[in-house]
Amino acid sequence: MKYRFPLVLAVLIASFFGVVFVLQAFERPPVLSSQTGFRGTGMVQVTNPRSDAILWDRNQVPPPPEAADAEGDRASSIYENVPLLGHLSIEQFGRIMQVMTEWVSPEAGCNGCHVEGDFAAENNYRKQVARRMIEMVRHVNNGWANHVQQTGVTCYTCHRGRPVPEQVWSAAPEQGARGMAASPRMQNRGEPSVGLTSLPHDPFSNYLSGAENIRLQSPTALATGTPHSIQNAESVYGMMMHMSEALGVNCTFCHNTRSFSPWDESRGPRVPAWHGIRMVRDLNTNYIAPLRDILPANRLGPMGDALQVNCATCHQGVSRPLFGAPMLRDYPELASPPAQ
Amino acid sequence: MAEYLNLFTRVQVRGPLYAGTPIGRDERYRGKSSGFNYLIGKIGDAQLGPIYLGHLGVLSLFFGFVAFEIIGLNMLASVNWSPIEFVRRLPWLALEPPAPAYGLRFPPLHDGGWWLMAGFFLTLSVLLWWARLYRRARQLGLGTHLSWAFAAAIWLYLVLGFIRPLLMGSWSEAVPFGIFPHLDWTAAFSIQYGNLFYNPFHALSIVFLYGSTLLFAMHGATILAVSRFGGEREVEQAVDRGTAAERAAIFWRWTMGFNATFESLHRWAWWFAALCPIAGGIGILLTGTVVDNWYAWAMQRGYAPSYPSVAPLLIDPALSVGGTR
Amino acid sequence: MTMLSFEKKYRVRGGTLIGGDLFDFWVGPFYVGFFGVLTIFFSVLGTALILYSTALDGVWNPWKISVAPPDLDYGLALAPLRQGGFWQAITVCALGAFISWALRQAEISRKLGMGMHIPFAYGMAIFAYFSLVVIRPVLMGAWGHGFPYGIWTHLDWVSNVGYQYLHFHYNPAHMLAVSFFFATTLALSMHASVVLAAINPGRGEPVKTTEHENTFFRDAIGYSIGTLGIHRLGLFIALSAGFWSAVCIVISGPFWTRGWPEWWGWWLNLPIWAR
Repeated sequence: MKYRFPLVLAVLIASFFGVVFVLQAFERPPVLSSQTGFRGTGMVQVTNPRSDAILWDRNQVPPPPEAADAEGDRASSIYENVPLLGHLSIEQFGRIMQVMTEWVSPEAGCNGCHVEGDFAAENNYRKQVARRMIEMVRHVNNGWANHVQQTGVTCYTCHRGRPVPEQVWSAAPEQGARGMAASPRMQNRGEPSVGLTSLPHDPFSNYLSGAENIRLQSPTALATGTPHSIQNAESVYGMMMHMSEALGVNCTFCHNTRSFSPWDESRGPRVPAWHGIRMVRDLNTNYIAPLRDILPANRLGPMGDALQVNCATCHQGVSRPLFGAPMLRDYPELASPPAQ
Repeated sequence: MAEYLNLFTRVQVRGPLYAGTPIGRDERYRGKSSGFNYLIGKIGDAQLGPIYLGHLGVLSLFFGFVAFEIIGLNMLASVNWSPIEFVRRLPWLALEPPAPAYGLRFPPLHDGGWWLMAGFFLTLSVLLWWARLYRRARQLGLGTHLSWAFAAAIWLYLVLGFIRPLLMGSWSEAVPFGIFPHLDWTAAFSIQYGNLFYNPFHALSIVFLYGSTLLFAMHGATILAVSRFGGEREVEQAVDRGTAAERAAIFWRWTMGFNATFESLHRWAWWFAALCPIAGGIGILLTGTVVDNWYAWAMQRGYAPSYPSVAPLLIDPALSVGGTR
Repeated sequence: MTMLSFEKKYRVRGGTLIGGDLFDFWVGPFYVGFFGVLTIFFSVLGTALILYSTALDGVWNPWKISVAPPDLDYGLALAPLRQGGFWQAITVCALGAFISWALRQAEISRKLGMGMHIPFAYGMAIFAYFSLVVIRPVLMGAWGHGFPYGIWTHLDWVSNVGYQYLHFHYNPAHMLAVSFFFATTLALSMHASVVLAAINPGRGEPVKTTEHENTFFRDAIGYSIGTLGIHRLGLFIALSAGFWSAVCIVISGPFWTRGWPEWWGWWLNLPIWAR
């Protein structure tokens, strides 16, 4: 009996600190909310203004350099080996090279992509990647207006001053013991890719590289014998977790959750999101995955694939990347391919 | 103003430990160990034990332990046998049912076989426990009401893990064993089948869940409020009404115009509690087997509400011109 | 007719909180009292408002009747009747009726010499409702965060508010509340069963005693909480279910704006895991 009191006291003190620790994991009012549906349906976006301020600071576009004169000699007249940008004026060419360096390779400078002293040399793999990426940016700006609208994208939309964008993905290796023990099947780990749920944590291979069907609800009320699987539903849920986290929005940004699939129950942003999924598939399949052959091993994921894009690569927690700042307006060089 | 509300036992009387009402020869299966615990005695009976461990009980506990071990060891394997990671990720870990491709066949151990075995042993354990509860009640000369209430819960358990997967033709339809994963399953299940909130049996089940909670709050509060008149002696008051039962009855009569008796109240309670899993089980059983999309069903039956539209209606981009890519 | 055989001796004056003897009377089986009058007033007014509102909407299918709260734009101000003002007025009536009902229960308890457990327990339900329609909307700055009063529309609200936090099952207080709901239902079935089993032991058997009830649970699970204890436990877990329900919705929004699964990051990132 005489030991009981200190023990009780210790438990009380420990649980006090435990409670304090857990409580500090929460946020606090005031919060911001905006309505996205009919009143009383609970279709509301809720954000924390303190976090919003941090997001705002993180997602600013550097001011563009002064516009370049499009007149004068073409870049191809004095530079060798400029198949994509040779049609620009020399001034335009210099300007776009300068901003690309700031966007993608501010530390290594020109030598990030170019061989020192020989700008025309082709033996830095980064130069080949950059060339392919310019083609990709133009492809997005020209072919995917139903996702990027008139805002467009530049290298900065993803790179933000880093040679490799911060938010990329690659196929994940399977975790856990082998042999006869149950395989965890790429789920139940609480990974950030699916917002710390137990849901399958690699939705990207299925839906952003592969083109598996995301639509899972049956349009008919009664069962028709079409097979569904809960596993598939969990995968799709994981994908949607990623989209929500990447865009900093909740499910009601696109859906009236009482019925996810019908379009007449959904909100406007679901349309560009639908195109966005197809855009990302296109970019990963046609532009990024093939780079595997020229990328060095340290630029590949653990399963040997190139680091690919998902919604977070551009969006980075904001529903319109960089808060909708017009990206393409100041860089017409990235809009159209050279006239053939 | 302060009055004694009988929330805690102030004075604990210690008589001799009670071994239990006699059951003849089988008393040898009753454990010998029992004792008093002061803190437990503050709110309930201070006596802990003895427990009766007959064959059914021992077997049930054993098979339950087997299932628990299968689940736990597979979880541990999923974090590469790291004890630290096991504790860290425990809420996220699970033993998952077989993949859809296996249908109702017995899959390899690593791909759902362990899940099937864990489910088998757990079911065995639960059924043995049911038999044990039945036997314990009968031997003491009591009614078997608890067995049948437990059977209602077993019904829901079997629907989730056995009957519905059988009807759907795939073990993969069943629930994983895991803390967060079973919540993911629940959410995915509702999404796959078009919002379980529109499933009327799900709604009924929740009515009975909340109803049970309401009833227990009403009943618990009523009995404590008349405990100064000996209201907690429900069996005695049911067969030989005293002022406690009279006041309890009259309270509700004056409040809402209707009252149960000390016996009938427990019938209300039993049915509310039992109907919660019974209705829930029916709702689950119909999902995917008969109804594929509960929201669509609600639209068809005309009970899904409609809202004034606040934005132009969308058209599926997959159907629009040039939208196919 | 309206009185039980033993009821007359309990119908005595006194015990009222307000109004002295003025409202100290019965109508049929119902006790009235000052708070009975107030309850009638609020519930009749509230019901009339619902009927008026639905008449203006032209909806007479009871499954589809719904009174929605105002748009968020109105903030914490009053809205025009047809733009959520009905909801605001009905909420006031509901709270008035619920609180009057609790106080009437308190008067009846006093009259019958009973403890105050029932009005307190009912108070927890009122608190949960108050959290939904007052505390959380005030913390979030708009009455529009309340839920609509309709059988299926309130479920749409629950669905959408749940998905505002991506996966509501990961809300720790929701987990607690659901566990308490299930535990209460389990405990209720066990309690009801054992009482029925003792009173109805089967043909030819005498009614059993508390000793049999205790022995049954000791035999079965090694512990019997006892006749008084089960009612304490039942009341506690039932009220806990209500309390944590209130907590789980109040923290969603005012104290957490992201997906609930993300909240668990604090556990995954505890410094004790570091190697």
